[in-house]
Amino acid sequence: MADLLFRLHDQRVERQGQQLLSDITLDIHKGERVALVGESGAGKSTLLRLLRQSQSLTTRSVKARHDAVAWCPQELGLVPQLSVFHNIYMGRLSQHRFIYNLLSLIRPQGRELADISALSETVGLPHKLHTGVASLSGGEQQRTAIARALYQQAEVFIGDEPVSSVDPFQADQLLSLIVKQHQTVVLAMHDLQLARRYCHRIIGLKQGRIVMDERASCISQNKLSALFVNQQQIA
Amino acid sequence: MRNNNGGSLVSGTLTQAGDYRRLSAVFLLIALLTVPFADLDITVMDAGGVLEDIAWGMVTPTLAGLLSVSDLLKAVCMTVAFALLALVLAAGFGFFMALLMRFTAVRFFAATIRAVHELFWGLLLMQLFGLTPLTAILAIAIPYAGMFARVYKELLESVDTGAYDALAPGSDLLSRWSYVRISQAWPQLRSYTLYRFECALRSSAVLGFIGLPTLGFYLETAFNQGLYSEAAALLYVFVLLIATIPLWMRASLWPIYSLLALYWLAPFQLAPFQIQTLDQTLLQRFFTEDIIPLPLRHSEQFGASTGLALWQWFVPIWSAQLSPGLINTLMLSLLALPLTGLLALLWFPATSVLFVSLPWRGVGHIFMVVLRSVPEIMLAFVALMIFGLSWLPALLALSIHNGAIIAHLMSRYSSVLNLRIDAERGINRYFFEVLPRVYQQFLSYLLYRWEIILRESAILGILGIHTLGFYIDSSFAEFRFDRAMVLITFAALLNIAVDRLALVLRRRLHKKTESVLSCY
Amino acid sequence: MKSFYCWKVIPSFLTCFLLLPALSGFSLTVHAQTLVFTAIPDQDETRLRQRFGKVATYLSEQLNIPVNYIPVKSYTAAVTAFRNNQVQLAWFGGLSGVQARRLSLGARALAQGAEDKMFKTYFIANKGSGLTPASQLPDSIAGMRFTFGSKGSTSGRLMPEYFLRQQFDKSPDKLFSRVGFSGDHQKTIELVASGAYQLGAVNYAVWEKNVAESRVDTDKVFVIWVTPSYPDYQWTIRGDVDAQFGAGFSQRVQHALLSMRSPDLLASFPRSAFIPAQNSDYKPIEQVARSIGLME
Repeated sequence: MADLLFRLHDQRVERQGQQLLSDITLDIHKGERVALVGESGAGKSTLLRLLRQSQSLTTRSVKARHDAVAWCPQELGLVPQLSVFHNIYMGRLSQHRFIYNLLSLIRPQGRELADISALSETVGLPHKLHTGVASLSGGEQQRTAIARALYQQAEVFIGDEPVSSVDPFQADQLLSLIVKQHQTVVLAMHDLQLARRYCHRIIGLKQGRIVMDERASCISQNKLSALFVNQQQIA
Repeated sequence: MRNNNGGSLVSGTLTQAGDYRRLSAVFLLIALLTVPFADLDITVMDAGGVLEDIAWGMVTPTLAGLLSVSDLLKAVCMTVAFALLALVLAAGFGFFMALLMRFTAVRFFAATIRAVHELFWGLLLMQLFGLTPLTAILAIAIPYAGMFARVYKELLESVDTGAYDALAPGSDLLSRWSYVRISQAWPQLRSYTLYRFECALRSSAVLGFIGLPTLGFYLETAFNQGLYSEAAALLYVFVLLIATIPLWMRASLWPIYSLLALYWLAPFQLAPFQIQTLDQTLLQRFFTEDIIPLPLRHSEQFGASTGLALWQWFVPIWSAQLSPGLINTLMLSLLALPLTGLLALLWFPATSVLFVSLPWRGVGHIFMVVLRSVPEIMLAFVALMIFGLSWLPALLALSIHNGAIIAHLMSRYSSVLNLRIDAERGINRYFFEVLPRVYQQFLSYLLYRWEIILRESAILGILGIHTLGFYIDSSFAEFRFDRAMVLITFAALLNIAVDRLALVLRRRLHKKTESVLSCY
Repeated sequence: MKSFYCWKVIPSFLTCFLLLPALSGFSLTVHAQTLVFTAIPDQDETRLRQRFGKVATYLSEQLNIPVNYIPVKSYTAAVTAFRNNQVQLAWFGGLSGVQARRLSLGARALAQGAEDKMFKTYFIANKGSGLTPASQLPDSIAGMRFTFGSKGSTSGRLMPEYFLRQQFDKSPDKLFSRVGFSGDHQKTIELVASGAYQLGAVNYAVWEKNVAESRVDTDKVFVIWVTPSYPDYQWTIRGDVDAQFGAGFSQRVQHALLSMRSPDLLASFPRSAFIPAQNSDYKPIEQVARSIGLME
């Protein structure tokens, strides 16, 4: 087996007396593409955060370790007052000195301008480079957030519902980009079709526990449906 | 009444309405208890006559007897140039301090420099730099830097930091701040800074009262000599200057204006107030001798005897100047506070869409702009002409100026209230629909102004009432800078204490205060 | 860049930080050959400007260099400007002169008015007070409203306070119900005339001039007591003027002041002539200032 990237052993997460995750034991190796599925509130986001924080397993320096993970949170974390360019640029804020960052804030520098302008076209945001993020639609904002993560050029991509508000065609495109650019991918997904198409391994969560961990190719529809059984009952 | 957070002032069982009533009653009661000790006589025999003269002057403005148009232009330019440059300096240093506010020493430093009024800074700096542009600029810039530090910090802290989460955490603090915090807070930072420009103009004009050649210089002369028509003309120019700020002041024009101001001020180093060189020995003497308490000045080492001498030096200052000064300053502010509130409650409907329709609202706006553009000390000065020396002019000036500001804020706040279409009108609407909704905010504004009223109460002593400013002015007149420093320090401490108290009360009023901006 | 043009204010901050020191540096390029003088603002600013505008012209002719008068707002500001070398010459009162010479070492008194050797303070009262002229202040003034002139004035504050303390053995705020500082002598006369204060202490020369010009209604307000005499106003010059303007400069200024003969000029002070003065002439003032606790 390839290098171990994440290892969680019997982890639990509690917040304000509420058990968010329990008995989490999980290994993720380099080169894997993992999808986390489950109903909302099952603990996907919490698990992703846990993974992001638990990177201490690897032996690289702090800075390199952080740079090694591209992170795309569900709430996007964009700065609405800044342009698309600057929000994407923020993906590499840690790679430059403050003075350079400040200069870029006042006046985008040529090299980054070329890179980011190309990137923004790839994610489907042509001509929006200098538009304020606040005036973009939800889908465009999500694409900005993905572009920011892509711009980090990390080896690992962790995304929390990264394509939830774009149309199916674009979702396909963006996911292809993500899996093409990163060796290892961990995604929280609610679209099971997409999860199966782009990931090798599906981890099912229910009420804060891992209830399923299978290869995407041999997973059955029944098992997947069982994850959502409560919702179906309500429906 | 908004009962969303049941933060109670005294015990957990009270409703918020109870809190408001209780807090208001406490302040009212304190004010009433103060009245017997306050000196509120009208000592001018013919107050009506003076009032008539002033009123006549107001309708017959002229420059004739006092200054030429070019003098006036020069005074206006001075006023603007001092304010501009001071603000640039203050915003720069204030911002720098805002970044370091997590260090107690920086917080304390910022609180101290802003607790000392511009005029006191002016009196102090005049000893160092004389009557020069530098004195004026620093006198405004130093306290303003302290205020900027606090407000900038609050604004920067109140932004959404969600983007931090998405950022690779390896990035340095300054980069993170500039991309996440500063970018988001920028609109508020800018509008607050612009608002402070208006205040800086007022401060700059007021510096004329201690001899710097701004509009206040001529205004003081005009009132003092009873040239009310000239005073009126100057006052109109000043109000016009403030009212038109939005027309000529743009963020993008700052660099040009600042350069022009510098270029224009540079020769005034020479005339009308010449300075040959900054005298190094003078500076040195000021810091190593003048402000050192007299008993310590020539003692070689600090021993028990110097300690005793210091104590013997301090006791008379305490009993003759500090204690009456502190008590009078605090009492005046406590007396002015409810009156300010009363005027604000009375005035805010005049400019509120809920009560007055357009043509009259316009009139209301003009009236209120005039009242709040004229600094307290100028109002007090005019009132002094009418009523003679007592607390009355100070009290009126403090309440009118601050009342107008709070009224303005409240009418803005109440404008966004959504009343039922069939809501009551007139007096019933005021008491049943609007007042309950705005009262919390009203108390918050009032508490916020308390510290400002206190600062001004101290400064009004310069006009002769026995608040701290009177004794500080006397110390400067006697060239006892050591005493002046002690008095100013205590004035600052009183201010910091009241500021803390008001903050605690405000926090209890609504657990999470509204944006600081809304409380200027 | 619609989104973030606001960052462009940064250059203005930088410019100001870099250039502000220039404001203090510019002073080095001053042509030092202008003599600037001031005077304590003991009267209306308008009148002071008239009076000292003429004096500036006169001195300029006598000394052959440009001479400027600058008005100041307070006695303190006059002394401060002198101390900071913003003015090199000043028309001070007794007390402000003593203070200035203490703060600016080497400064010396050059000339005083002939009247200043024997200066006096008038205690004036409003008719409504019921007070009448007498050889001594009556005890009935206790509890009345009283105003001084400026806090730093000799004839309007220092000496009257001294004589009050001598007679009543009390500080003025204990003696009177209300003690004011009108700011200048003109204002004192106005305030007592209006009844805002029942009595006040005023420079006798200013009073006499007002009476002569019938600017005061002597039925409404009149003199009730005249203090013993003491030394007052004088011209004081900085100690370093000879280095600045050439050897013997202070002598030349003194000579110019002493040879002021124009009745028009002298009347504006109002003085009959200027006579030589020296620092030691003002020892009594210093002692009085010490005795009432205005000075260490």
